[in-house]
Amino acid sequence: MSEDIRVMTAQLAADPTSLVFLPLGEALRQRGQLDAAEKVAVAGLSRYPDLADGHDLLARIVGDRGDFEQAFDEWGIALRLDPKHVGAHKGIGFLYFVAGDLEEALHHLETAGAALPDDDGLQSAIARVHESLASRAQPEEDVPAGAPPVQDPAPAEPVDMEGAFRGMEGAEDGLLLLDNKGRCLTGGLLSPEGVDVADVVAAHLAGVAQEASRAVELLGLGAWHGLTVQAPGANLQIVAPDAESVLLLAREAGMPLGRLAMLSERAAAAAREWLQGLS
Amino acid sequence: MRSLEPWVESPLATFLTESDARLTLLMTGSGQVVAQHGFTHALDVMAAAALGAAIVASTDALASVLGLRAFHALHHQGHRHGVFLAPFEMPQGRMIGLVVYGRDTSLGLVQLFFDRLVSELAAAAPPGEGKKVVLPQDFEHELHASLRALFGR
Amino acid sequence: MSMEYREALESLTRIRGVVGGLLVSREDGLVVAEAAMDGVAGNAVAALTNALAGRMQAAVASGGFGDPSFFHLHADGGTIAAAPAGDELLVVVIADRRVNVGLLRLEMLRIAGSVA
Repeated sequence: MSEDIRVMTAQLAADPTSLVFLPLGEALRQRGQLDAAEKVAVAGLSRYPDLADGHDLLARIVGDRGDFEQAFDEWGIALRLDPKHVGAHKGIGFLYFVAGDLEEALHHLETAGAALPDDDGLQSAIARVHESLASRAQPEEDVPAGAPPVQDPAPAEPVDMEGAFRGMEGAEDGLLLLDNKGRCLTGGLLSPEGVDVADVVAAHLAGVAQEASRAVELLGLGAWHGLTVQAPGANLQIVAPDAESVLLLAREAGMPLGRLAMLSERAAAAAREWLQGLS
Repeated sequence: MRSLEPWVESPLATFLTESDARLTLLMTGSGQVVAQHGFTHALDVMAAAALGAAIVASTDALASVLGLRAFHALHHQGHRHGVFLAPFEMPQGRMIGLVVYGRDTSLGLVQLFFDRLVSELAAAAPPGEGKKVVLPQDFEHELHASLRALFGR
Repeated sequence: MSMEYREALESLTRIRGVVGGLLVSREDGLVVAEAAMDGVAGNAVAALTNALAGRMQAAVASGGFGDPSFFHLHADGGTIAAAPAGDELLVVVIADRRVNVGLLRLEMLRIAGSVA
């Protein structure tokens, strides 16, 4: 164990509330000791759940492990806590680049680059994204005369009736989309004992959404965005992707509520896209 | 819904929907039913109205004897249902609301939306004709007119 | 209002952004104790939040997830939060958008435990 890690470990042991967990976690990460780094980061975040730097650290650790989805979530939380967090902009910009969303990647990387003009690596990354965007936009004049006409694009794929949340964590047992009359549209929900409870919960949830709408209307609070619920068996987030549907996201009881809100926004976006595909 | 006065229908329907009450009677201070809405088929409406008005009158008298201002609402809670009684003033004279509700709603919601009902009735009521004086020889005619309107005869 | 309830509500209303704190009877949705700014209709907050809590409890329990210990409804113009305090009381807060929900939640859970 290197001397600095030894010293920081001793400091943290003497005072578990110390913020030394940040440099210690980063040092462990850089040495490839990802399990130890994650334990340090998670313990630190349990004391400081609103510390953007802590979420940035955890994002880098899980990102090194290849868990890009969790890394995205953690950087998203960091940005909610600190919209100008440079590390989070860099990290999430990188993820957008990997995912092929170049516009979003550029936005985040340029935000970070404005704060770090001397960061050569960052400036190179920005330049690379610009190049990728430029090569993507082929002007029509480049098409030679007499070339065969561009074929119509392949017909749109049929809507995947079962796949609104395909690939998302909990798609089968913790994400449920229903209409405003309490009928399931897609997704699934299992109780902690593994029983399918989608239909019965959907029926109740429509009433919850109606009651929420009534409450905010009568109390003059405008439109409601979300309902967060903490229960012994799960933490739940209820949102309305549009005026005629309700989405429930259910996760284990220990999931941070802020992260739950982030995940629900992504799921709601997926639900809206799926619903538009149906219409 | 049955009512003698069309202007009570919309506020009353809204009240029943929002409060989730089982049934509501609106009556005059003397117990004549002005409107009814909800699950009233199994109920002796006229008897319930008369008794409700009597309870309100008795409670007014009790308040007077005790040197208190008149109570603005009464509530009786049973095992499965509650009864809410509240008098209120209208240009046409005193009216009383009798509300029966079950365990799928609450007294708080009933009170909340009853207050709104009173405001909406006051807004919807036609300009005051002044209190209509019912002479004894008109009383029986008024009673039969109520019965015909309520029971469709 | 009992001293215990008064102190509980004062600790809630000291949180920045909170415009009203109430203890509500879960049986009938009526206000048991209240500390709210002018313009806050305590009886309406109590009745409507209690109704929402009841529906929420039914929905969550139907999924086998147990009884909610806290919920938070956030809207354009503010937020409503509630935490059951035993079988009889509900701790309710109405707040504007500035409120630190994390802090609010911790305080509400603490109060729910103490007044239950």
